[in-house]
Amino acid sequence: MSPVRIIYTLSFFFTLFVVQESAVSLIHFPISGFSLYLAIAISLIAFEDHNGALVTGFLAGMVLDLSPSSNAPFGQWALILTSIAFLFAINRDSIADVTASPVTFVIVVAGGVTLALVSYLGFGALLGEQNGSLGHDATVLGGNLLWTIIFTPMFLPTLGRAHEYSLTARER
Amino acid sequence: MARGGGNRSRLLLVILLVTALFFITLDLRGVSLTKGSRSVTQTILSPVQRTVSTIFSPVGRFFGDVKNFGKTNAELKQALATNKLLKSRLAEKSDTKGQLAQLKAVLDLAGRGNYKVAAARVIARGSASSFSQTITIDAGSSSGIRSDMTVISQNGLVGVVKSTTSSTSIVLLLSDPSFKVGVRIARSQSVGVLSGLGSTEYSLVLLDPSGTIKTGDNLLTNGSEGNRPFVPGVPVGVVVGVDNSAASLTQTATVNSYANLNDLGIVSVILSAPTSAPSRPLLPTPNPTVTVYVTPAPVPVLSPTPSASPTRKK
Repeated sequence: MSPVRIIYTLSFFFTLFVVQESAVSLIHFPISGFSLYLAIAISLIAFEDHNGALVTGFLAGMVLDLSPSSNAPFGQWALILTSIAFLFAINRDSIADVTASPVTFVIVVAGGVTLALVSYLGFGALLGEQNGSLGHDATVLGGNLLWTIIFTPMFLPTLGRAHEYSLTARER
Repeated sequence: MARGGGNRSRLLLVILLVTALFFITLDLRGVSLTKGSRSVTQTILSPVQRTVSTIFSPVGRFFGDVKNFGKTNAELKQALATNKLLKSRLAEKSDTKGQLAQLKAVLDLAGRGNYKVAAARVIARGSASSFSQTITIDAGSSSGIRSDMTVISQNGLVGVVKSTTSSTSIVLLLSDPSFKVGVRIARSQSVGVLSGLGSTEYSLVLLDPSGTIKTGDNLLTNGSEGNRPFVPGVPVGVVVGVDNSAASLTQTATVNSYANLNDLGIVSVILSAPTSAPSRPLLPTPNPTVTVYVTPAPVPVLSPTPSASPTRKK
């Protein structure tokens, strides 16, 4: 990933973070909240190649770590999203290109978001964070999964085109 | 990995993971750099959140209102038909009116407790990406707010100030799983610890092994040294269920909070309070019940029509 694209990606994630923290968080979703940020971050990770996915995951995590409402230590999201990006990268190479089918892509993104949240909970538990009862956590995970499946198809075509547009000739 | 990338990819992965772990270690060791970055983010975010909150407030409750759509469908259709032109203006006015009512009520509670308070509007809620339950309010250190100050709503305890900037503060809500507050039962003065469970219910553990909890017991804050983080005597909640497990050493109970944390518009931060608990309990007064007595109307008796002028016997 070129330095220019790193700056673009970082700016994009910061803008998305502001939208998530200022607008999306204000919506009272039934069941639980929806993380537009995580859904888009996982989608972009899935679009990228091996190294691009790793850097995108790390940058997305670093920006998410800036959240003032987070109780987690700074760097936890970076670690989790880099690990998720690694999983995406090796599976993309070894199994198939998940971006080929929209339905598969939505399922993979929803699964990625859930995996990221589960990892966050698991890592938080290791560090002694208190993240609520099992029932509450299950509701948050279920709600996020549901809303990600519903909303991802809405932004996926635009995101795909934007990603294609941002690639340099060499990267294409 | 072996298939996807060579040594360069592997090196990149290791560098990124080590960097993340490095930041985590710094944060856990209390280095101010990482905490400072969150403070800077909050400073940048707060003007945006304030603006978006003003514009976005009616839209934000859309999904919540959808749940009750079936109940009020007929009323809603009628209201839309009659108030089509005035809808947006009316919504704005009712929003202001609701906030005013909340402000009046919360200031009333603060006045009864002789608290010096700073009122503030809720401008954002904690992100769905983190499991912590927080709100952001539009008053900060310039209003005299510091971290570890008690935050109340019209009905009672809401939470405690977690961090501040000059114009905003983040409040850790009572419902957050990491939230713990010392409480006393108003009836027996027994002391316990109330914990958030991440939902609308709370867990109370009594510290005194011989103490008893009863359903309907009112809970008040016990207070902290120097009134921070908690001032004494603030209403917290009511016991709705008692766990009578014989195996436990102390009694535990399920509690509902007085404050509705899903419907916070205006809150107050207690800047200073009397060192002792208020002489009169600040428990929320129930709304007066309106009793309507219906007297049945006299049932007309079906009888032959009497003659207009009764005949007199002469």
